[in-house]
Amino acid sequence: MAGKIQSLTEEERAHVLPMLRSAQWVEVGGRDAIYKEFVFKDFNQAFGFMSRVALRAEKMDHHPEWFNVYNKVQITLSTHDCGGLSQRDVSLATFIDQVSLM
Amino acid sequence: MEGDERAGGVKVRPGRLTALQEQLIWALLESGLSRDILVQAVGEMEKNRASVGAERGERGDGESSEEGETDFPPPIFREIEKLPADEVSKLRTEVDQLLQEEPWHVAKMVKSYMQQHNLPQREVVESTGLNQSHLSQHLNKGTPMKNQKRAALYSWYVKKQYEISQQFTNAKHGLTMVEEQGDESKKGRRNRFKWGPASLQILFQAYERQKNPSKEEREGLVEECNRAECLQRGVSPSQLAGLGSNLVTEVRVYNWFANRRKEDAFKHRLSLDTPYANQSASSNTALSASPEHGVKFTQQMSGDTVSSARGNGGERAGRLMVSPIQLEPSHTLLESHNPKLVSSSGPLPPVSTLTSLHSLSASPASSQSLIMASVPGVMSLGESSLLIGLASTQPQTVPVINNMGGGFTTLQPISFQQQLHASHQQPISQQLQGHMAASPLMATMAQLPYHMYKSDSPPYHSSSLLSQAMVIADSSGLGTLTSLAAVRQILTTDPEEQTDPPLQEDSMHLQPHTPVPASSESLELYSSSQTTERHQSLLLSPSQTDISSYMPTQMVSTAQ
Repeated sequence: MAGKIQSLTEEERAHVLPMLRSAQWVEVGGRDAIYKEFVFKDFNQAFGFMSRVALRAEKMDHHPEWFNVYNKVQITLSTHDCGGLSQRDVSLATFIDQVSLM
Repeated sequence: MEGDERAGGVKVRPGRLTALQEQLIWALLESGLSRDILVQAVGEMEKNRASVGAERGERGDGESSEEGETDFPPPIFREIEKLPADEVSKLRTEVDQLLQEEPWHVAKMVKSYMQQHNLPQREVVESTGLNQSHLSQHLNKGTPMKNQKRAALYSWYVKKQYEISQQFTNAKHGLTMVEEQGDESKKGRRNRFKWGPASLQILFQAYERQKNPSKEEREGLVEECNRAECLQRGVSPSQLAGLGSNLVTEVRVYNWFANRRKEDAFKHRLSLDTPYANQSASSNTALSASPEHGVKFTQQMSGDTVSSARGNGGERAGRLMVSPIQLEPSHTLLESHNPKLVSSSGPLPPVSTLTSLHSLSASPASSQSLIMASVPGVMSLGESSLLIGLASTQPQTVPVINNMGGGFTTLQPISFQQQLHASHQQPISQQLQGHMAASPLMATMAQLPYHMYKSDSPPYHSSSLLSQAMVIADSSGLGTLTSLAAVRQILTTDPEEQTDPPLQEDSMHLQPHTPVPASSESLELYSSSQTTERHQSLLLSPSQTDISSYMPTQMVSTAQ
């Protein structure tokens, strides 16, 4: 990664966190990260979702931490480089939300 | 959360994909991958993976939708089915339409398409699982083919059309689509290049103008040929990718010219050997030169001769087979009616001729065995001795000999070059007919290049007299005898005909004069001596008219 990823400023946090919270993202305790759980109809749906997210993550070069069991996907977003949330997490989170609705 | 709703354009038929597959595909499509690129990539990747049964669970619908299909649709069909979803249904419809048509009409269409694009049958066989012989017969002769199999064939056909049109289309865009689909396993994913008739015409014309074109000229020919091939296929000359494995390149043109030059040199050498014409010197040279080569050819020739002999009516040919072994020139006799065979004079023949040679020698005649039967004592001896020379492994006894010892057979090939010319005139020539075949070798060779392409049997004329003469020259009594017989046969033999009876009669004649042991001896002697000298001595003497007198003389000596 060229250049260090900046963690979200307080201003930005004040702006985006409410949005994310309303979208069911929760802040993880003990670390600067956001988490959300998705439940799909079945594994296919879930994995299709994950595929889309994966493709996007590759494109962004920003990858989620996630777990999947059958139709459930648990995602944790955080930026390793800055040790906390960054703009990338926010944009990926919004993308994930969009995709999960497909 | 159905991804189908996102389907911008054509919708994938759900029946053909699992839900997950659909999901994944949609994921790909939504990731910025255009549908076209995805489709193309899929096609390419699948071809690359060969016809692995990467079943996606969609096979049931395959091309083999034939009612009453007894076995499981050939796995090869999968490959046919690995097509973009929307294309598959289109193609399947086409296949069904073709199946409704008259089989012979469709066969003609398929055949002409294959000719137009120079597609090898092998490719069809590999990707459809059809039997090649059956396929060939169906396409060329209209032999009936069951519906399921026709379905396979038509599937390949429509698919191939699609592929090739893609190739041509992509050529425009600079993409190389699926090159040769479904022919990987054996050929490493590429069909063997084959010259098309249009290109050959261009090349031969250029060859007449100049046998050794420069690189620029070759490149010019490349352009010309590719243009012609494209035109033949009804596409714009600029879309070369569609030619696939039959694309003409500069290297191929270079090789073609090199091979033709080699062929010419070989032909030239042959023609030098052929006109033996009582020239000891030349014959010596020729003879000495030929032995080594002769041996090689003998092997092949015997095979070939036998086969050709068989075609001609066996016996005489058979004899020829046996004898030549020991005598260098004999190989030419063995050649017999095999126009494609190249006599062994000189260095190895050009590649193309060798090819035909091998193919010809593929069929070892059992004529030899026949010989064995007739005269056990002498025959076996003769054979063994004969076989020594014969490189061919198959003991091809010449039944012709019947009464005569194997020696006869051997010598026959010697024939007389001179006599060959006169063969048509000599009454005795009957027996020689079979041997005549051998001589033609020389003549045949001269016409080789075109035979290569047209697989015609050029009428051969007495050209291998030299070899034949040499044979006669053998000093051993029996050898002489045999040669006489051979000579006679050759003299009277018409290359194109073969009559058996005369041979035997002659043999009979000779036989009384040739005690078995003597025969054996001479045979042995004969076989062991492979020098040209002996050959020479006798070679020159016999002339057409002399033969008759020659014989008695020889016989006398033999009797000793």
